[in-house]
Amino acid sequence: MKKYGWLGLIFVSALLLPLLVGEFWIHVAVEILILGLFAVSFNMIFGYMGQLSFGHAAYYGVGAYATGLLMVKTSVPLPICLAASMIFAGLCALILGYFCVRLTGIYFAILTLAFGQLTYYIIFQWYSFTGGDDGLQGIIPPDLLFSANAYYYFTLIIVTGALFVMWLISKSPFGYTMQAIRENEERTRFIGINVRRYMLINFVIAGMFAGLAGGLWGPFNRSIAPDLCNWQQSGIPVFMTVIGGPLSFLGPMVGSVIYTFLMAFVTGFTEYWPLTIGLVIIFVVLYVPGGVLGLIAERVKVFRSKALEPAPDEYSDTGRS
Amino acid sequence: MNTRIRGGLDMEGNVILRVQNLCKTFGGVKATNNVNFEMMRGELSAAIIGPNGAGKSTFFNLLTGYHAVDSGEVFFLGKNITNWPPHKITRLGIARAFQVSNIYPKLTTYENVRQAILTQQKRTLIFFTPANRLAKEETLELLEISGLSRYANTVAGILSQGDKKRLELAIALGSKPELLFLDEPTAGMSGEETYETMELVKRLNQEMGLTILFTEHDMSVVFGYARRLIVLHQGTVIAEGIPEEVRANEEVQRVYLGEEA
Repeated sequence: MKKYGWLGLIFVSALLLPLLVGEFWIHVAVEILILGLFAVSFNMIFGYMGQLSFGHAAYYGVGAYATGLLMVKTSVPLPICLAASMIFAGLCALILGYFCVRLTGIYFAILTLAFGQLTYYIIFQWYSFTGGDDGLQGIIPPDLLFSANAYYYFTLIIVTGALFVMWLISKSPFGYTMQAIRENEERTRFIGINVRRYMLINFVIAGMFAGLAGGLWGPFNRSIAPDLCNWQQSGIPVFMTVIGGPLSFLGPMVGSVIYTFLMAFVTGFTEYWPLTIGLVIIFVVLYVPGGVLGLIAERVKVFRSKALEPAPDEYSDTGRS
Repeated sequence: MNTRIRGGLDMEGNVILRVQNLCKTFGGVKATNNVNFEMMRGELSAAIIGPNGAGKSTFFNLLTGYHAVDSGEVFFLGKNITNWPPHKITRLGIARAFQVSNIYPKLTTYENVRQAILTQQKRTLIFFTPANRLAKEETLELLEISGLSRYANTVAGILSQGDKKRLELAIALGSKPELLFLDEPTAGMSGEETYETMELVKRLNQEMGLTILFTEHDMSVVFGYARRLIVLHQGTVIAEGIPEEVRANEEVQRVYLGEEA
């Protein structure tokens, strides 16, 4: 457990955050957590399964609308709304994923994008049920969670729990099977794995957690709109994962911290946020292709190998100079 | 081996694999042309030999569901498995190693073998138990048998070509097959590695009762280890029998072995 001590430190720091910063940055922190959860769920498909989903916002949006509709039209408690978000997003992922996992590579990406846009247009056009392009307003969290700090702690607990569950899955035989599929689909088939079925299960799990993230968004923002499902929203976890690093579990969360913090900071004094994030992405892709956590892992590896390297005079014993 | 019957009773005595009138055409090329073939349970290394392009790998691909069969049938333990998907065929008890080593290059040697074992044990749908707590003994044992223990924590992609082939053999064994197909198991190996690998194959057959069918270009391996040979040429079986008979066959000498054989 020693090697995870730094995670405990981060969690304690997160608990202390409301004592250190103002309400604006607490809102930013909630956004970081929600979008980070969204990005980590996306990375279950991208980093662990090796397929790029360009329609992950569909499940985020379905989750947001499930909670939003239940809260606006009924008096269901928030935790049950969040569970419903996961279930509805998971069902949506099951139906759409059934078709998507039959393809791989660019065809998988295009099909997920198409289904994502399809979901967006359904929500956009179904005015009587979803509110159409007006969206849903008045998604008010319960009194207990009304303040920024309370909702922050609530989100922190939910997101930490969700991340823990996803981390367990990533280390489980199922998680390794997904990595095996990513590494060598053919070999995986020839050890007896029904690759499509496993990809679908993973797709549904990722969709459920995206739905949970979406469910958290509505009460935080007090309203939701169809834009939560569109392709631009699907691009956010892609950017976050690329920035943070797709090959480490927390890479997308680190990406969320950088992306969301930068957005909050930059939009404070310029409207050229897309230009800024564009430059960041170009820089990362060109110079830090493994993302921030990938770079750190690489540096640590180099540092450790140097520390283990024998001193020059030790080489002389083996005939090296 | 006879006690390890699974997947239903073998209705045809000791026949583990029966191939009937198997045909496969790619474009206008007949890659497999009306091949008939039987393997007995526990048979040692009936080798399929033939020049490049003879259809050896295609034959394996048809038997293991990699390619769809045009016509003909494949029976394993009396069960018709023609055109079954690879994962179902593997679960029934047929494993294979490919001509070009087919492993998980970014996982460690240990993780490569463990994945096959966990799959065989039907534990891949476990979500909340860390994989590193499972199948430890079985994985270490298989690494030991395969001579890969010292590379357990090595990332598989940096192993030598010979060790990669051995790792793939270990992965195949992790599926606990009854029938094992090895496509050129010693390709790219040094003389010593070849000897060690083929001795392992021999032990798997003799001590564990595994039925093994392999293709090979190295004639010293073929004649040193196979009890029965099948010679393919342009997708057709041109000779079949014990090594001495095949060696003496004029057509085999003409198309493959050469006069010096």
